Amino acid sequence: MANYEALRHLTIGQYIPTGSLIHRLDPRAKLVALGCFIVASVLAGKYANALLLLLLTVALVKLSRLHLRSMLATLTPVIPILLVMALLQLIFYGGASRSGGLNRLLVDWGPLHISGESVRVIVVTWARFATLFLLVTLLTSTTTASALTRGLEGVLRPLTRLRLPGHEIAMVGTIALRFLPILGEQLEAILQAQASRGVSETSSRWRFLDNARRMARMVVPLFVDAYHRAEELILAMQARCYHGGKGRTYLVSFTYRFSDYLAVALGALLVILVGVLQYSALP
Amino acid sequence: MKPSDRGIRRVVTAGLLLAITLLLTFTNVAFIPVPTPAGSATIGHIPAIIGGILEGPLVGLIVGLGFGFGCFMNPLVTAVTNDPLVIWLPRLFIGVAAGLVFMLLRRANKRVLAVMLVLLALLVLYYSYQVGGKILWLGLLIAFLTGIGALALYNWARGEEAIIISLAIAGVVGSLTNTVLVLSAAVWRKVPGIGPEVALGVGLTQGIPEAILSAIVVVAVVSALRQIGKRRRGSRL
Repeated sequence: MANYEALRHLTIGQYIPTGSLIHRLDPRAKLVALGCFIVASVLAGKYANALLLLLLTVALVKLSRLHLRSMLATLTPVIPILLVMALLQLIFYGGASRSGGLNRLLVDWGPLHISGESVRVIVVTWARFATLFLLVTLLTSTTTASALTRGLEGVLRPLTRLRLPGHEIAMVGTIALRFLPILGEQLEAILQAQASRGVSETSSRWRFLDNARRMARMVVPLFVDAYHRAEELILAMQARCYHGGKGRTYLVSFTYRFSDYLAVALGALLVILVGVLQYSALP
Repeated sequence: MKPSDRGIRRVVTAGLLLAITLLLTFTNVAFIPVPTPAGSATIGHIPAIIGGILEGPLVGLIVGLGFGFGCFMNPLVTAVTNDPLVIWLPRLFIGVAAGLVFMLLRRANKRVLAVMLVLLALLVLYYSYQVGGKILWLGLLIAFLTGIGALALYNWARGEEAIIISLAIAGVVGSLTNTVLVLSAAVWRKVPGIGPEVALGVGLTQGIPEAILSAIVVVAVVSALRQIGKRRRGSRL
C-alpha cells in the first residue's frame, strides 16, 4: 500500500509561488536555460562535471526558496530499485579491466570484480538522474502552467515558419502537466479501491497472462477517466471558441529583461564548461 | 464535426495521453513481472499506441516524444545508456507505426486478416526451414511453435470481431517497433554490454511478452473507450 500513496506526492506539475528571482524570470529564458542544463547533463560523464551540475541545481533550488526535501520525497519509493540496480551494475559492469588509472580494479575477489570505472558510472548516473529530476520539478514549481505554455510557444515560434503547429504542441504540453497530478490521484484511488476489494498487488512472474489482465484492469479505468475528462475539456474549449494559435493575441506580453539574458548566457556557458571538463584531465 | 473541433479533440487527447505516459514512466506502476532476465515488461509505450490508433499518427508521434522524455528521466533506463539517439529517437515511431497499421486495417474484414495470418505463418516457416538447414532441432522447434501459435491465433480470432483483431495487431506492431528500434539503435550506437547477440536475446525474451501485453491492454482500453465489443458474452478481459 505504501507505494500507492507516493503518487499523491508527485511534485512535478505543481506551481508553488514564493516570488523568488527564479519565479520572476521570463518563461522563455527558463526553458532555454533548462535545455542547456539537459544538454550539459547528457554530456557530463565525469565526477567533476556531473557533481558540479548537481551542486548548481541544488543552489538553484535554494535560490527559488523551495523545499529540497519535499521535492525529493517523490523519489523515496524508487530508491530500493535504484539501490538494487546500482548493486548489479557495480558487480556486473563490463568495463572492468586490469589496467591502471581510474579503471583499476578496486575489489578482485573470486568472481567479484569492482573497478573504479563501474563506481564512476554509478555515481554519474545517480547525479544525472537527481539533476534532471530536480530541474524539471524546479521548472514546473516556479512557472505557472499558462506562463509555461506561452514560453514553450515562444521557443517553438521558429518552427511555425516550417508550418509546424507550435501553439498546439505547447497546448498539448500544458494539458499534460495540468492533468499529471489529477491522474496521479485517480490512479491512486483506483489502486486503493482494488486493493480494498482484495486484488493482490503482485503475483508470481510465471503467471504472465494473469499479470497482464490485472494490469489491464488497473489501466482501463484510468484511460476511461482520462477520456471523460477530455470530453469535458473539449466541450469547455469549444464553448470558449478556441481555434488554435492562428491570429491569437495575448493579454500579457513578455519582454526580456537583463536577468533573462543573463540566465540564457549562463546556461550556454555551463554547456561549454561541462564540455571542457569532459575532455580535461580531471577525474 | 468542424475542422477546428477535430483540432481541439486532437490537442486534448494528445495532452491527456501524454499525462498518462509520464505518470506511468515516472512511477513504477507500469512494470509488471515476467519470467525473463530483465524481470519486467513495461506498458509505458501503450498511450503512444492508443494515441496513434484513436487520433492518427501525429498524436502518436507527440505522445511517443513524451514517452522518450519519460524514459530519459527514468534512472532504470539511463543507468544503461544516456544516448538520446537510443533512448529518445526510436520512441517517436511507436505511435506512428501503430497508427498507420490501424489506418490500413480498420476497414479490413476477417478474410483479409486470415490471409495475412497465413502469409505470416508461411514466412516464419520459411525461416525455420532455413534454420533447420543449419541446426535441425532448432528449425523443427521453430516450425512446431509456429504451427501451435498460428492455430491458437486462428482459434482466438474466430470468436472475435475484425476490429478487435485489427486493434491487437496495431498494439503488437507498436510494441515491436519500440523493441526492434531501441535495440537496433543500441547496437548501432555501440552501447556497452549490448552486442548483436545480446540484443537478439533481449528482443525475443523481452519483446514478445511486451507485444502480447500491449495487445491485451490496447484491446481492453480502446474497446472500452469506443464501446465496441460490448455484445460479446464471456469476454476474457
